[in-house]
Amino acid sequence: MSDVRETIRQYILATYLPGESAEHLLDDTPLRTSGILDSLATLGLVSFVEKEFGIELEAHETGIDTFDRIEDIAALVDRKRG
Amino acid sequence: MELSEESRRLQESAVEFARQALAHDVVAADASETFNVAAWRRCADFGVLGMPVPKEYGGLGLGLSALLAVMEGLGYGTRDQGLLFSLNAHLWTNTIPILRYGTEAQRTRWLPGLCDGRLIGANAASEPDAGSDIFSMRTRAVKDGGSYVLNGTKMFVTNATVADLFVAYATLDPALGATGITAFIVERDTPGLTISRKLHKMGLRTSPMAEVLFDDCRVPLDHRLGREGRGVEVFECSMEWERGSILASCLGVMRRQLEECIRHAKQRKQFGRPIGKNQSVANRIVDMKVRIDTCRPLVTRIGELKDRDQPAMLEAAIAKLYVSDCFIKSSLDAVQIFGGYGYMTEQQLERDLRDAVGSGLYSGTSEIQRNIIARALGL
Repeated sequence: MSDVRETIRQYILATYLPGESAEHLLDDTPLRTSGILDSLATLGLVSFVEKEFGIELEAHETGIDTFDRIEDIAALVDRKRG
Repeated sequence: MELSEESRRLQESAVEFARQALAHDVVAADASETFNVAAWRRCADFGVLGMPVPKEYGGLGLGLSALLAVMEGLGYGTRDQGLLFSLNAHLWTNTIPILRYGTEAQRTRWLPGLCDGRLIGANAASEPDAGSDIFSMRTRAVKDGGSYVLNGTKMFVTNATVADLFVAYATLDPALGATGITAFIVERDTPGLTISRKLHKMGLRTSPMAEVLFDDCRVPLDHRLGREGRGVEVFECSMEWERGSILASCLGVMRRQLEECIRHAKQRKQFGRPIGKNQSVANRIVDMKVRIDTCRPLVTRIGELKDRDQPAMLEAAIAKLYVSDCFIKSSLDAVQIFGGYGYMTEQQLERDLRDAVGSGLYSGTSEIQRNIIARALGL
């Protein structure tokens, strides 16, 4: 789980927050509602998660409730990987 | 950046074809806002619509570089920019997305008709309140048994009144944002799809445009294009190709304008000498030449990138932004150089200008192109 979180964190930092410290991107930092990720960036993250973790996400799984925080996304990945 | 021998030959053929087969009265067609179906068919017979499509789906299997060279040739050889705009809309919003995101069954079913001109494609993406902010669209798609039910209104749909196919975008749930948007292929005779209002434009008036209404429009599940919730991928692919390619024909128009202006500046005499001897006139023509020579490499680069199957989102935005700006400026310069005659409809330069203004708006406004470039720069 912590590996998943770290992988997602590093991707977001490298792709959308270059130069930002990892300390400022916490597991519970809102990604979409805070404006870190816009629509296209969210889609980019969805594609990354699918490819990186070998899962397929349904559209309804990418809403704010399940796809707005690193901890939520990591939990979703764990559930999908069974 | 020189054209390859093959592209140069194709471009020369396109110029010749356009001069002979697309030499219809565009002044009258522009005034009556008439789309020339016969000219469309001739373009299809010439092979334009099938160039980027593999032979197994009815295309010619040529690369984008070759097609862009042909588009420039068509822009140089015909005055009907509206027709070329319709060809572009069809290619980039229907043919390419179906080729790249369609299932084998979808490709087999629709690509041959899109290539040989039997089918005309239209793009149903923009909405009355979702233009540049396209992902805020309100058109809904609800899965119900063996179909999706579409409800909503689409705006600025090029080719709508003559289209057989619509690539339409709708959201499964507005709360999902971009990840809720899904693409569909909707056939013209699908109950619930109506052309609610024909739209009248400043330019490109020979290319039809309308508002399209989806009212409980049932689209079979197997007409979904791409994955559920991944319509943005389809849309972005479509826009990447379109932004990088749609102004190739405008290069041809700019080249024709330049030649006409040079000829006019040499022949037209005022105060006892050709007007081209005045620096104020010559400088405008110089600027027109510089614009063409700086625009063409940007367009050529898109062809090279896509022919290597590489991403070109940034490069396409740069090309779209710069070429459209140059196109508008050169079209205005041409009118100014011809003076009162340039302002007259018969000279056909004022129509070029009206047509050019749209280039800063369609396929994403210049402001949106700047946003894309800024994003790529990490801003």
